[in-house]
Amino acid sequence: MADKIDEKSILSVLGQVNDPSLKKDIVSLGYVQNLKIDGSRVTFTLALPTPLFPSKEKMREDSERVLSVVPGVTEVEISMKTEIRMEQNARGVSGVKHIIAVGSGKGGVGKSTVAVNLAAVFSEYGAKVGMVDGDIYGPSLPIMMGAKNAELSQNERGIIPIEAHGMKFMSMGLLSKGSAPLIWRGPMAHKAVQESLLRVDWGEIDYLIVDMPPGTGDVHLTLVQTVPVTGAVIVTTPQDVGMTISLKTFRMFEQTKVPVLGMIENMSAYLCPHCGKQDDIFGAGTVATEAQRLRVPYLGSIPLNRKIREYADQGVPLILADPMTAAVYVDIADKLATEIYVRNYNKRTLIIEEEPEETAESFAV
Amino acid sequence: MITAETNPIAIKKKGNRSLEISWEDGHVSLYSFRYLRQNCSCAGCVEEWTGKKVLDKDVIPLDLLGLKAATTGNYALSFSFSDHHDTGIYHFDHLREICPCVICKE
Repeated sequence: MADKIDEKSILSVLGQVNDPSLKKDIVSLGYVQNLKIDGSRVTFTLALPTPLFPSKEKMREDSERVLSVVPGVTEVEISMKTEIRMEQNARGVSGVKHIIAVGSGKGGVGKSTVAVNLAAVFSEYGAKVGMVDGDIYGPSLPIMMGAKNAELSQNERGIIPIEAHGMKFMSMGLLSKGSAPLIWRGPMAHKAVQESLLRVDWGEIDYLIVDMPPGTGDVHLTLVQTVPVTGAVIVTTPQDVGMTISLKTFRMFEQTKVPVLGMIENMSAYLCPHCGKQDDIFGAGTVATEAQRLRVPYLGSIPLNRKIREYADQGVPLILADPMTAAVYVDIADKLATEIYVRNYNKRTLIIEEEPEETAESFAV
Repeated sequence: MITAETNPIAIKKKGNRSLEISWEDGHVSLYSFRYLRQNCSCAGCVEEWTGKKVLDKDVIPLDLLGLKAATTGNYALSFSFSDHHDTGIYHFDHLREICPCVICKE
């Protein structure tokens, strides 16, 4: 009779398989779930920490390999699911695991387009995604999400976010229709951002993406003071880098201790719709160099492509309309999600412990 | 910049009198809440344009207590003091800078 296999021995064998990014084994990381042994058949679920998870095939192959040499095991079946871990410091927005700010140094660099398309990729690959229009002065999410006529309503838990393309979003733009301007004084802006974050009944959200207004101002301060932000992504054009405006945004995040998860070069090159040739109208590669200098991850570059703009105007995320063109976004979203979970894993939780008073202590007063 | 010097790894509120922060570089700072209150850098205590201190340190009562301590985002702490003041945001950089220990004071 073949050797008897038990759960313990299977787990110890699987303990040889590592998550390549964290260099820790998949058993102690809790990725191995629902382990079942049925005679000589072993089945389990790999719970992946990001929606795309580039290393998933490698982990699956490694698992199959180490199990194949275990005596008594003839069949291995591994299913996969995504289980995004909670941000370690998260308190503040209930139900939300990660808050990602998408910022830029100046306006017009395509920040909102990038934010929406990244969000859509996360969502398409199985994550629960929410978006907040932090650009309270020039809200563009309603148009880009194809829901500019949506009406906000409330329940007893708060404002009900609008659902579009499988994502939830909240925008102050929904409160003023058409061309009516949103004019906010500082304190109002502060309130608007707080309400968009805290007074919304988000339900369960893996990634809450905040589309920031350009530059460094009220909204940024409110955001970083109101909630623990997982990190920020800076969108720039090669030209903006030359003008060092995005550097100011970078320094602001640095000063408020929001980790910069990476920089994205948008409008890196013009893709001619006629001949398909690429023209580096703003100069290319400068953002990568800058990112390296600032020691932040460079997440990738997005060409100036007519299709990206057209679908944004129509309110359809690129990944849904044109998955081929969206490949560049998939790659960036993948790097971003990996950056988040690796950082989260390595991060310590900051809590204030309460201790009873000690007596007979002297202070410098 | 997040440096070891200004990165807190443990924060302890010791009753209502003092707060202890252990920094990543191994240093430990112990503050009385009165001292923290005296070093508040909010717009009411420090003039915003000139940076001049408006607050008279001596008016802070000797028996001042710290009622609440909370984190502000990832970068600062805020406190509620027994004199009802709670508008200061204490940046970790600032907290390290004002460490009252003998070594830092020199």
